[in-house]
Amino acid sequence: MIEPFLFIRDLRKTFGSFVAVHDVTIDIPKGEFLTFLGPSGSGKSTTLYVIAGFQQPTSGNVLLEGRSLLSVPSHKRNIGMVFQRYTLFQHLTVAENVAFPLRVRRRPDAEVKRKVTEMLSLVRLESFGGRYPGALSGGQQQRVALARALAYDPPILLMDEPLSALDKKLREEIQAEIRRIHRETGVTILYVTHDQDEALHLSDRIALFRDGRIEQIGTGEDLYLRPASEFVASFIGNSNFLPAEHLETVNGSATIRLADGSVVSGVRIDQDFSHGQKTRLMVRPEAFRLKPGPATAGLAVEFIDTAFFGERRRVIARTAAGQEIDVRPTSDMAQAHEGIASRRQIFFDPAAAFLFPA
Amino acid sequence: MSGNLLHRLPILRRSDGIGGALPALTLITLFFVVPVVALLLRSVTDPVPGLQNYATLFGDGTYARVFFNTFLVATVVTAVTVIVAFPVAWMLAIMPPALGSIVFGIIILSMWTNLLTRTYAWMVLLQRTGVINRTLMDIGLISEPLPLINNLTGVTIGMVYIMLPFMILPLVGTLRAIDPMTLRAAALCGASPFDAFRRILLPLSLPGIAAGGLMVFVMSLGYFVTPTLLGGTSNMMLAAMIAQMIQSLLNWGLGSAAAFILLLVTMALYALQLRLVGAKRMTGGI
Repeated sequence: MIEPFLFIRDLRKTFGSFVAVHDVTIDIPKGEFLTFLGPSGSGKSTTLYVIAGFQQPTSGNVLLEGRSLLSVPSHKRNIGMVFQRYTLFQHLTVAENVAFPLRVRRRPDAEVKRKVTEMLSLVRLESFGGRYPGALSGGQQQRVALARALAYDPPILLMDEPLSALDKKLREEIQAEIRRIHRETGVTILYVTHDQDEALHLSDRIALFRDGRIEQIGTGEDLYLRPASEFVASFIGNSNFLPAEHLETVNGSATIRLADGSVVSGVRIDQDFSHGQKTRLMVRPEAFRLKPGPATAGLAVEFIDTAFFGERRRVIARTAAGQEIDVRPTSDMAQAHEGIASRRQIFFDPAAAFLFPA
Repeated sequence: MSGNLLHRLPILRRSDGIGGALPALTLITLFFVVPVVALLLRSVTDPVPGLQNYATLFGDGTYARVFFNTFLVATVVTAVTVIVAFPVAWMLAIMPPALGSIVFGIIILSMWTNLLTRTYAWMVLLQRTGVINRTLMDIGLISEPLPLINNLTGVTIGMVYIMLPFMILPLVGTLRAIDPMTLRAAALCGASPFDAFRRILLPLSLPGIAAGGLMVFVMSLGYFVTPTLLGGTSNMMLAAMIAQMIQSLLNWGLGSAAAFILLLVTMALYALQLRLVGAKRMTGGI
């Protein structure tokens, strides 16, 4: 087996009786962009702080290229980090901020100068070197923070919700910058966020945290198309959960009965259910069709409201059992618009739906 | 606080602006401006008109020594106060607020305790047969009592103790405004705790150090009670000299001239402080 680049092994952190991180193990290859996604208090930031050396774990280990980081103080770990708030040194210019990690490493002047120029052009702030952080916008400050964190070529870059203080447009702009910088430098990035769109947009892999544990780890597609639990399904993307009763499973394909009495077969499952067990069927809003296809199942609904979002239309529909569901058909937009307050059938592919225990 | 509130009410500001301040203005004019002008006049008229009092003060080595001594004591006291106050202020800045307010209470309480009481307490502690010397001799650290009183050491200890709150309070304000994450960022950048202190924390806290330091320095220049009680005759300070000139030597002209010089130096330093604070505001706290 190849030695993992960064290996987080059985990491556990407790505060009194509260377990913040619950035996987390992750193996991170070199150059990966891994996002820790999860609601606040799920242990993602604590895990990052342990890697940064701001907190000592209760047990477990963090190994970088086979060597434990735990006994190394923060300032000797050689890790880059961008924080949620702008932590630039307010009394130093932009160029001096970027030069700071090189100055404390006593690098020769010529190298510092060259590296600062290189870093400022990496984050596209070439002409801002002489300004003070107070004179920059939030987005520019985060780019300076990024340049400062990368100036000493750290093997790992930690990012703790770096975009949460920025407005939506700036966020998207900096996301693109981060992707480009990751591509250009090949640095391994561990990124913490509670924003699923950010996670999906940026990451190679996502580790979804819940109550101090990793609920699922995989690519964005894995988490979206093959959620391991109802929590993952509801956290990533939008989902409708229809109450259902499990009838039987044949060859990994289940037959269920929905609340309105209709029977659907061909639902993909990867766990065992007993006959009559209460379950919930997850259907993505965009998995619904307005016209039947081969092997689709029908669902009787009434359209209550539609809203236009440019590339697609969102429909709120009510099932015969009285549950409101979110429908975002990819085509037939005109039909969806015409059909307000009309009873009709919508369709979905059971193979693209998931069954979870209730 | 209440002043700001009153200013926000336009009616009060317009009608009561001058009228409301009249009693206070009268008081200040009668008991402060008039005596200061009288002092200035005395210094150039007593015993005969002319600048001979100032010539004597600047020409005589004895007086020059007192001036030098005054600045020396003020400088040493300010430096020691900064060094002692910084860790306390830092601790207060990062402490949980509930605990911090208790420590703040202790500091404020010491400010409210009578100055003479506190200075006499130091005399008891510092003298040859005092608690400190006796304890040190009992545990065998020293064989002879240390000269802790009637010298610069005594004055410094006593005055630093009194000046500490004036240094701590502005410094805590400055330090609280520094995001602790900035220091974590410095650490991850590779700065050792000492580097982080020297290159980040210290420069960022300079406005507070300057404000507190200037206040302590100005207050120390004119201090009377503590230097008189804890200092020796060889390191007399300006305030004590003025008192001696007027009370014992009855030389009002010379005393007035010395007092006026002290006032001028103090005001010059105060103007400097205003400039620094003003400049700080213009650059947004940098």
